[in-house]
Amino acid sequence: MYIPNFIIPDLLLLLFPFIVIGSRLFCTDRSKVPWRIANIGFIAIFVLLNFIPLSGGVGRFFITNWHIDDFGVLMREVLMVSAILGIWLAKDYFEHGGDGKPAMHQIAEFIGTVAFATFGGFTVVSACDLLTFFLGLEIATIPMYALAAWNKRDQYGSEAATKYILMGSVATAFELFGFSYLYGFAGSIHFDSIQHAVASGSSPLLWIAVLFLFAGIGFKLTLFPFYTWAPDVYEGAPTPVTAILSVTSKATAIAFLVVLVYGPLSPIKEQVAPFIALLAGTTLFVGNLGALKQSRLRRFMAYSSIAQAGYIMVALLGDAVMGKTAIIYYLFVYAISNYLAFFIFGIIGHHREETFDSLRGLSKQKPTLAIALAVAMFSLAGIPPLAGFFGKFHLFFSGASTGHYGIVAFAVLNNVLALYYYLQLIKSAWIDDTDEHLNPLRMTKRQRNVIVLLTVAVIVLGVLPFLSDNIFAGFTF
Amino acid sequence: MTLMNCLILAFLLFGIGVWGLMRRRHLIGMLISIELMLNAANINFISFAYFSASDSTAGALFSIFVIAVTACEMAIALAIIVSMYRRYKSLDVEQLRDLHD
Repeated sequence: MYIPNFIIPDLLLLLFPFIVIGSRLFCTDRSKVPWRIANIGFIAIFVLLNFIPLSGGVGRFFITNWHIDDFGVLMREVLMVSAILGIWLAKDYFEHGGDGKPAMHQIAEFIGTVAFATFGGFTVVSACDLLTFFLGLEIATIPMYALAAWNKRDQYGSEAATKYILMGSVATAFELFGFSYLYGFAGSIHFDSIQHAVASGSSPLLWIAVLFLFAGIGFKLTLFPFYTWAPDVYEGAPTPVTAILSVTSKATAIAFLVVLVYGPLSPIKEQVAPFIALLAGTTLFVGNLGALKQSRLRRFMAYSSIAQAGYIMVALLGDAVMGKTAIIYYLFVYAISNYLAFFIFGIIGHHREETFDSLRGLSKQKPTLAIALAVAMFSLAGIPPLAGFFGKFHLFFSGASTGHYGIVAFAVLNNVLALYYYLQLIKSAWIDDTDEHLNPLRMTKRQRNVIVLLTVAVIVLGVLPFLSDNIFAGFTF
Repeated sequence: MTLMNCLILAFLLFGIGVWGLMRRRHLIGMLISIELMLNAANINFISFAYFSASDSTAGALFSIFVIAVTACEMAIALAIIVSMYRRYKSLDVEQLRDLHD
């Protein structure tokens, strides 16, 4: 049963950025108070979310347009994990520069902005009308523009932010145009009325709306024809922001599609399915091809995350329970593996250039880092004992369960392509000779602890499948 | 004036916006084009609310929210563009070439 108290984490997160930014007024610049408050707050919200029992059923409405159900609660947990790991990764960039860029400033405001973006994600998963939905997507996106340009003294950052905001605003315009046609078609902005109208008959208006909506979300999710901004933005933004972009922003965009496809558009899902399959297939192929020829780490991660978006799209072909379950489990795994990779690249980028060559001899200098890197890459590639394999397995299983064998076979074949470039990274770290000119690497205590924690999490989530059963068990949406 | 006229107007505005976005090489010009596209959606909302929708308040409200959200977005966009201008002393998009494959 869902009781009214379950809205408390949402309210806390809404209040949280004001507390963190406000606390700066009462302490000095070097004070650690905002940082401590941020940590306690984020972790407290995450723990509170874990207290909500997943009871299945229909969830609960608050003031008619805020809806909490199992999918919403688990997506909130993914977003909170991403926010917590994001600020832990960002902390070092405020103490010293990284990737040849000067240090960033105003950590309290940075954390507040991350919290706003996370709240936007919360809003998207709990919306049940178009207006709340639209506002949630904007609350999740607008802070990201500011985050990408956070380092004012870095020219790449402002170039990346300019590209991002131009592309993002165009995406917003497309979505909004789609929303307006959807409203015109159904005569109401409430999801139930729209679903009712869609079920009772389609018209050209509906199909134009669907086209515009997919184009708009395609920009945000970096789907095939609209992905071109992603590598530039991922490379130009500060490293922690790249990590937050690749997890929080992608999770929000996926949640948007899940809410839409399994909510108002569910009556025409079978007609939309070939379209989704086409987008998924082209996206993962293009992402994999792009990643093959990269030599810079963050650009490589950008193409890798484009390909991951394609894999996640495959699960959208399944029915509601299976698709949602697979997507949530994969997002957990993806968030953890991706942050593990970014923590390692952050340490390398702090002391060396962010290229494949900087990884040479890693296994001899820092065996822990090299092992963690191998775990992260094998998990992203989907090698059996690790969590990534089970994540991908559920994604493909969901796609295949409704008979879309063609796209699943294509995705599996593409995984071989993906394995090639992930292995190249591991080859640089384990096989290539040591380059004596590279600077030595040092880890802080926080970095070492987080890397060990995430490595263990990636292995444990894979070899102890009962942990993932916990997510699946008794789980009807 | 019928619903169709309004929809055609909105669609033309959206098209002009897309065209301007592709033709313009000036950042402010591109922002104005984006603004045109967003306002085309607003016209759609208001005309649907006026002519056909069963829930007409929602459409009118939606357009007001859109205006507010657009204002936030443009504020951030202008701030980022000002920081671009400080560095390059020009607003030509052709100079966005430092990041590429």
